[in-house]
Amino acid sequence: MDRRAAFFLVAAAACIALVPVANEHAWVAWTVASVYVVLALGSWLDARSHRRL
Amino acid sequence: MEYALIFVIVVALGFDYVNGFHDAANSIATVVSTRVLAPRTAVIWAAFFNFVAFLVFGDHVATTIAKDVVDQDVLSIGVIFAGLVGAIVWDLITFYLGLPTSSSHALVGGMAGAAVAKAGFDVLIGDGLRTIGTFIVLSPLIGLALGLIFTLVIFWVFHRNRNVERLNRGFRHGQLASAAAFSLGHGANDAQKTMGIILALLIATGHAGADATTPLWVVLAAHTAIALGTLTGGWRIVKTMGSRITRLQPVGGVAAESAAAVTLFATSAAGIPVSTTHTITGGIVGVGAARRLSAVRWGVASRVVWAWIFTIPGAFGVSFLSFWLVDVFS
Repeated sequence: MDRRAAFFLVAAAACIALVPVANEHAWVAWTVASVYVVLALGSWLDARSHRRL
Repeated sequence: MEYALIFVIVVALGFDYVNGFHDAANSIATVVSTRVLAPRTAVIWAAFFNFVAFLVFGDHVATTIAKDVVDQDVLSIGVIFAGLVGAIVWDLITFYLGLPTSSSHALVGGMAGAAVAKAGFDVLIGDGLRTIGTFIVLSPLIGLALGLIFTLVIFWVFHRNRNVERLNRGFRHGQLASAAAFSLGHGANDAQKTMGIILALLIATGHAGADATTPLWVVLAAHTAIALGTLTGGWRIVKTMGSRITRLQPVGGVAAESAAAVTLFATSAAGIPVSTTHTITGGIVGVGAARRLSAVRWGVASRVVWAWIFTIPGAFGVSFLSFWLVDVFS
């Protein structure tokens, strides 16, 4: 798997792990986690397209 | 009593001065390394925006430090002095060990440690500490994501531009704005931490009511101290920051500083104390990660994670001992 995508997924997991303790800022943790999931997907697609070239 | 109060206020302002001295490098490193400004001009630029931050942002972070870390009833001159000593000593220890520590986290850990030494764990305010703890991890991650996104957007917008030299010249000047924005965020978030300490001190000694907002003289003194720190020391340690984590071009400098500035603006407006060093580190890592992960020097970035883990417990321990010593000798 693309190492950068894996890194972004770990970052997303870290954000989700913070949700239970984030009080009224849980939405921030969810939003940042969502951004990292999108970045992981983008990075994976980018790496896949480079492999095909 | 009055002399003790004045002494601790001076120590708090000294802490603020050292913060400016140490952290100025974060905001001007890229401007200096790309030779947009001479070092002396760059520190004046950063110091000015550090100072005027009080005109833009309120005192939400100060209120959080003063009222949402420990129960106000337990605060005294001794507790706040021990908290400051803990933060300063921890900063010195980590400076010696080469850990990229956060003065902000050390201050929170210090306050908590001294208060617990006086009255036990019940005095800690769980909600406030949970929010601060959450953003210790979230703020660099937000900076990283924004740094990466800003870099991708810039590349996407300018990818048809073949005149690289002209583009770089444009972004070199763009760094003036991004460095100013970051300095504004730095002044807002970090000076407010000292404002919070002094406000807590004034409340604890009966010089301000429990619901008081930060007096203007405290606001001006804190912003003056951080600006003077930036003015006198920043350029000495500016050399490494621009290339320590990943090699930055002007375009990367604009993206990293803008990412950190946006994060600091949002957290300052929400009253959440965060580390400016960790936020800009996240932004710089994000710029490097936009190219490839191997462009990032992970050894430096991982030391930030160690600083997350150790700073609050470390400062907590030192302040706990400091309060015990203050108590014995007083």
